[in-house]
Amino acid sequence: MAGLAPRIHPLVASFLRRRDLLDEVVARFGSPVHVVFPEVFAENVAAFRALLDGYGFRYRICYAHKVNQSRALVRAALRAGLGVDVASPGELANALASGFTTDHIEVTGPKGDAFLRDLVTHELTVNVDNLWELDRVACLAARQSGGHRAAVLLRMCGFGSSDRATPASRFGIPLAQATRALELVRQRHDVLDFRGLSFHLDTNDVRDKVAAVDACLALVERAYALGLTPRVLDVGGGFRQVFLADAGAFDDYLHALRRGLAGDGEPLTWAGHTFGYSYDGGAVRGIPVFHKYGNSTPGPEFLRELLDSPLDGHDGRTVAQVLADNLLELWVEPGKALVDQAGLTLAGVEFVKEAADGSVLVNLDIARDTITPADQEVMVDPAIVYRGARQDYRHEPCGVYFAGNLCLERDMVSNHKIWLERLPLPGDLVVFVNTAGYQMDLSASQALMRPRPPKLAAVRGGADFTVHPDAAYGVVGGG
Amino acid sequence: MVYDDITELIGDTPLLKLDARVHRLEHVELYAKLEMFNPFGSVKDRVAWAMVKDDLDGIVDKRQTFIEASSGNTAKALQVLAATRGLRLAAYTNRVRVTEVREVLHLLGAEVHELPGLSECPDPTAPNDVFSTIGAVMATDPGAYYRPSQYTNLKNVEAHFRGTGKEIYDDIGPVDYLVGGLGTTGSTRGAATYLKEHNPKLATIGVVSSRADFIPGIRSEAEMWEVGLFQPDVYTEIVPVDSGVAIDATLELVTRYGVLAGPTSGATYAAALDVLRRRAGAAGDRPVKAVILVCDRLEPYLSYFRKRRPELFGRAKGRSLRDLAPAEVAGTPEITPDDLEALDGQQVLKIDTRGSMAYRIGHVPGSVNIRDDYLVDMLSQGLPFPTSTKLIFICPVGELSKRLAAFTRQAGYDAASLAGGIVAWRDAGKPLESSPRG
Repeated sequence: MAGLAPRIHPLVASFLRRRDLLDEVVARFGSPVHVVFPEVFAENVAAFRALLDGYGFRYRICYAHKVNQSRALVRAALRAGLGVDVASPGELANALASGFTTDHIEVTGPKGDAFLRDLVTHELTVNVDNLWELDRVACLAARQSGGHRAAVLLRMCGFGSSDRATPASRFGIPLAQATRALELVRQRHDVLDFRGLSFHLDTNDVRDKVAAVDACLALVERAYALGLTPRVLDVGGGFRQVFLADAGAFDDYLHALRRGLAGDGEPLTWAGHTFGYSYDGGAVRGIPVFHKYGNSTPGPEFLRELLDSPLDGHDGRTVAQVLADNLLELWVEPGKALVDQAGLTLAGVEFVKEAADGSVLVNLDIARDTITPADQEVMVDPAIVYRGARQDYRHEPCGVYFAGNLCLERDMVSNHKIWLERLPLPGDLVVFVNTAGYQMDLSASQALMRPRPPKLAAVRGGADFTVHPDAAYGVVGGG
Repeated sequence: MVYDDITELIGDTPLLKLDARVHRLEHVELYAKLEMFNPFGSVKDRVAWAMVKDDLDGIVDKRQTFIEASSGNTAKALQVLAATRGLRLAAYTNRVRVTEVREVLHLLGAEVHELPGLSECPDPTAPNDVFSTIGAVMATDPGAYYRPSQYTNLKNVEAHFRGTGKEIYDDIGPVDYLVGGLGTTGSTRGAATYLKEHNPKLATIGVVSSRADFIPGIRSEAEMWEVGLFQPDVYTEIVPVDSGVAIDATLELVTRYGVLAGPTSGATYAAALDVLRRRAGAAGDRPVKAVILVCDRLEPYLSYFRKRRPELFGRAKGRSLRDLAPAEVAGTPEITPDDLEALDGQQVLKIDTRGSMAYRIGHVPGSVNIRDDYLVDMLSQGLPFPTSTKLIFICPVGELSKRLAAFTRQAGYDAASLAGGIVAWRDAGKPLESSPRG
């Protein structure tokens, strides 16, 4: 009966305690629905600021919009004085419509010609992915009237060495091309405003990030030698969320899961799923296809670890000291860490059935892709809101799998067994907490003509909760 | 005693009876099996030698390279065994987490491959798994590698059955408690199996690091699933230990018993005290006999201690910048960028306190570079400047420089701080001088 009890922010917990409110939400908007909490977002911003204010360099926090399409969260970022990091024309439109001015928007990711034209026209900061793009931005800027220079950051990659690999990345300019990039920036100084260097690594291993900082600092110095004046070091984002009340529970669950896979305990997976583990003569090996649910370190602490790391190439001065020494402005692009705890997804129970192998399937009115990012299993127990009369239930714990509403075998909301205190009934609510980071939108589709759930913003303000459609937050009387 | 080959020194390690006045466990005789006395410095010498010795002639004939998952003592022992026979070792690891250990491996000539940090986007095909990486490397060049495979090779267990366990029994007879750190689990499993044959009531205690904590050489309980040799039923109890507790216990081993052991041994000692205090009653008419495995030495872990206990490496005490009260700093003279520029040519010493990269890129013309941490060190010894020279301190934003000026003024210098630091200088449009790398 290993459980994965979620960590729930006090504000979200008080929202969930209000049964009348949940009834009202379902009555007004139906189920399923996504709910975001801009006040929790603001608290997460404050935690990053509290850390960064303690150092002696300037900084900018850019909210990585791609974690959630919510307009309300983008508005919360604006209100908190952040910049925003957008990665598509849609996200750019959302940021502009939310009130961001162009000097607070930076653009990362693959762009293409049409988008680049837009970016140069709007005078946005372009986080340049490759040499073609750099050349293209220069050409487009040269055609602009008014003499505005296009602001660019050079995103670098390939920081590994012969004996130490770094994660492979499809993004960024390889270090080997740095000379050409800097030379191009110098030659097109008339149309390019070179702001600095940037990286984003798909890992929280601080040694990889320190190696990237070291390499970028060397490029800063080379840029100065060429007469350029880089002022920004952008260290990207990727800082983790904290999903579980007790992270040790995740280890315990994996322990039980592996025992089950080794045939040494109750099987805990639907239809023989292995989640990427392999069984090999006594050991259950491999890296499970889960997010880092065992993490108990808050997002800003990953950044602190990086900033306090000594740099070999700088006589052991820390990253923070070298930034301050060199008057470099730190840019960070947290996404998940800013929306940590700032959202939930409410689904309804349609019916419960028993499968041929005896497994109990609780069928929901939501699809797997609507609460899971990139088909990854979400290893956090949902909360159940039992709405029936007490005598309607059999009061005994049971292990279940949640099934989705699509007519597809693969549409299981959970492929791992979840224990409930009692079996729910049709009409009960299932609350998936902490879904604002990638889970709501990344993979959501309208498969089988099922519409996507509406998104709402819940705000407590000083007194009672108010719930609006997401797009209305911060507009007419909202928030 | 004369030996012909270094491998003859492997095994037959001493057993030290730990002073009962220090551990103060009643009716307990606590022994430390000093595996650090092995020639390359650790318990792994036995394992490395046992895994390769039978096949060594063939390996040498075929010029095979050892390939192994290890970032520590096994790699070290295998590398020495390889090097002395003209062979090479390729060690694969997720990360070498202790700097000196990496440096020793490099010094010995090992080829160390560190895999990339774990991806934030889970993907079972990502090359983060050491075991599958080794498999893939071996497949690229069949026959070129010899893989001892310490996590699955039963010779690892056997080395401790025939060696460690038997030696302990030969020295002190039946043992009631055996306590050891869990890495490959070869040492505890092998020694316990032997000792259990002579005392079926033997309690075997495995020591792991606490969740999300790190003690070099041992795993956390969750990670034990990766270990093919691991058999949970060998252990009476598995005890997690915090790195903080391990460090305290290591220091106790060092200072109270004279055992210069590494942090894993400290964790083992701490777990032994914990378990024996809880469980041990007299074993009939004789005292309880307990043995801890001391697997390696203290010295390769200096940076591990420094990172967690910087105060143990304290600098000479003296009045420092931190002792300055805000009131003492408040009245310190500051000089504006304009006034500093106007001083040009006069007898002043401009000191840029930033790091060398910042200085190389751009500094106030004529300033010299003495980093803040050097200055702070110097302050306790007396500054190498004449008191007749006016000192101007320059830092990024004018804060540290103000404290330095306040401090040196108290020592009798005429000192001032550039108001607003190099930022103000730059923003005022003043010239910056650069100096190339030497």
